[in-house]
Amino acid sequence: MDEDFQQLEAELKRLRPLAPSHEFRARLERTLAPRPRARLLRFSWVALPIAAAVATMLTLAPVPRREKNSAPPQLPAALFKPVAAENVLIASRDEGLVTLADGTPARRTRQSYVDTITWKNSRTKASLKWSVPREEVRVVPVSFQ
Amino acid sequence: MTLFRKTPNSPPMEDAHADDSWKDWFALHGPKLLLCARQWTRSLADAEDVVQDAFVRFWRNQRQLGGEPLALVLTSIRRASFDLARREFRRAAREELAETRPDDAAPWFETPLEGEDRRRAIEAALRRLPAEQREVLVLKIWGELTFAQIAEKLDTPLNTVASRYRYALNALRSELTAADCHG
Repeated sequence: MDEDFQQLEAELKRLRPLAPSHEFRARLERTLAPRPRARLLRFSWVALPIAAAVATMLTLAPVPRREKNSAPPQLPAALFKPVAAENVLIASRDEGLVTLADGTPARRTRQSYVDTITWKNSRTKASLKWSVPREEVRVVPVSFQ
Repeated sequence: MTLFRKTPNSPPMEDAHADDSWKDWFALHGPKLLLCARQWTRSLADAEDVVQDAFVRFWRNQRQLGGEPLALVLTSIRRASFDLARREFRRAAREELAETRPDDAAPWFETPLEGEDRRRAIEAALRRLPAEQREVLVLKIWGELTFAQIAEKLDTPLNTVASRYRYALNALRSELTAADCHG
């Protein structure tokens, strides 16, 4: 890389990308804010027996052996690195109003996802893909005005 | 549990239940994420949507994975941009992104205290670069990715990535030199 390029690179690096607007950060904050009264039930580990049937492994080179267990594949960190993680919503169902134990009315929704995580070995180009179904049930108290 | 392990500049997100701990990391990396997203989307609003989508998904579900969080979120943003392109244009996302020329007028960079004319000239030259060159340049300079990481993300040979980077710098240098000559 010649000196002109290095100067230009240095000049480019001095430019600061436009910061996200206050509105955008506020939107993000609202999205990531804790849901105070919502009760979130996760059944991802319940679904693990099904996951075993769905899990897909693609190998282009030999992968170190690992113990069979219900956790994500344990691979040498130096060899495999996660390069992609996707959550695909495959179904969403509004189950309508339910009544909580304390008598509070609530709306229950059920979402089904398939989470897929991909690890890649940059040296051998081997990749490993792990997919697991996940179901979320949200029970959100409602108030009538 | 340390969730962001390998980016030296990243404030650690030590507690998975610390609801505000994402803010420090986003304050540091949010502008870079947004700039990269704008290379793959048609407007600032679209870029904000894909950054939000990718970052929220990462924060909620993927931050425990390890690896390079910035690289992982950038991958997610690129995929979200593909999805957006698919939804909006009903065409092959790869073709669409290659043809995408960001057309929103909002600036890409903060206004410097001095040298605003130079900032405008650089940004204008950047916008005129071929999309595939600009993409590599932005990921390298402001996304802080290595050539190897960019090659992997774009599924493009390493040499091609390095060439595009050099072509981009060369084109920028030519444009800026010409602009200097013409005052």
